[in-house]
Amino acid sequence: MRTAPHLTWALTPDSVAAKVRYPQMEKETVTLPRTALDHIDSLFRVARNLTGRDSDAEDLVQETYTRAIAAGAQFTAGTNLRAWLFRILRNAHIDAYRRARTNPVDGGFDDEFAADTTTMASEPLRGDAELERLRGVVTTDIEAALASLGVDARAIILLDLEGFTETELAETLGCAVGTVKSRLARARSILRERLRDYGS
Amino acid sequence: MDCTEERIHLLDRRRGTLTGELRARVASHLAECEACRREDDVDRELSLALHDRLPKRRAPEALRRSIERRLVGEPLRVSRTIRRTPMALFAAAAFVAVAAAGAIVSWRPLGADPMLAEAVNDHLRVVYSDHPVEIESGGIHQVKPWFTGRLDFAPIVAFAGDDEFPLQGGAVAYFVDRKAATFIFKRRLHVITLLVFRSEGLPWPVLAKHVLGGARGTLESSRGFQVLMWKEADLGYALVSDVPPADLQALAVKIAGGT
Repeated sequence: MRTAPHLTWALTPDSVAAKVRYPQMEKETVTLPRTALDHIDSLFRVARNLTGRDSDAEDLVQETYTRAIAAGAQFTAGTNLRAWLFRILRNAHIDAYRRARTNPVDGGFDDEFAADTTTMASEPLRGDAELERLRGVVTTDIEAALASLGVDARAIILLDLEGFTETELAETLGCAVGTVKSRLARARSILRERLRDYGS
Repeated sequence: MDCTEERIHLLDRRRGTLTGELRARVASHLAECEACRREDDVDRELSLALHDRLPKRRAPEALRRSIERRLVGEPLRVSRTIRRTPMALFAAAAFVAVAAAGAIVSWRPLGADPMLAEAVNDHLRVVYSDHPVEIESGGIHQVKPWFTGRLDFAPIVAFAGDDEFPLQGGAVAYFVDRKAATFIFKRRLHVITLLVFRSEGLPWPVLAKHVLGGARGTLESSRGFQVLMWKEADLGYALVSDVPPADLQALAVKIAGGT
């Protein structure tokens, strides 16, 4: 059975593509420290949960390093390389989705949360039933529920899971440090909502 | 007291990162609010589910090596694809002889586009070989099983050949650093080479604007040959020939299952 082709690799903005088409051949442009490779597993994990497919995740990580290498001169030594790389990954993923327009995350973080602002506190009491459902969810349930979230809701949960600090999350997601906690709490709340459809 | 404001801090409280007055305030609220205690229990279960049940994936080794090479500024290492068989050596010798005679002007170094160069080189080995196929075609159902045991993947090719593009046969070759299934089609007197290989870890072009059924590919030309490359699932496809681009694209659509 043939698998549906994936499109992420075809969705890079033209301007970036023209500049970094085969950057591995441009020796002089590689100014990133070797430690950038230390983050590849983490980038791949997050990319995998953002894209939902191994091959798309590989493409997204490739694209992330491609952009990072092309923009290496803009990286300031001593600043947070991890947050910088993940910000590039997030932007590359959003660029791809905006072009594909096949995913419910088009609207990004704000649009996603605009539709879910009533999920915190004002909802009816959750209790043992939800707890039991959560205990019954399996990997595929969690991945499916994550996939139903907006890009930044998904990203903030995944990056938090990778051990990002509030400052790193703010830097990666391009928001104020003061809003990180509430964003994360809202994202987790929405994820729980989605998980109600799974487990039993 | 505003439960929403307190619940924002529950995660930090469980992680022990709340301090001072805020920690005391949240603790006090939890002591009084049953709803928030339940909320805390459920949120803790979510943390456990995320931590314990999401796979701890690692980046594939090929991807890691590819990125590592790029970070140290090394050009992509391309292993030679000449197979050490009499036929392949003959093909290589023939190619060198023709090149030296000037029929082929340049062996372009693997400069800006290593995959493009590799695809054309592989096609030239087919063209200049007296016996380009290792399995003569009695149909796709004879050619595809022949690859079993010769490759570490199963080449997916939906198109079995037709009157416009008859399938001549297949062979095993190398594409960059990996084995490739080679399918040879004809278009009138022109040879068309299809290479199928694992796609991971290769520097794929980032733009793919040519629609090939459900896939999208990149059409480029090099040394007078047209090269159409695309990916489906975990496999990469490179179609090379000197036929007009429209013919190549028509065959690609058939191969990609778009007909």
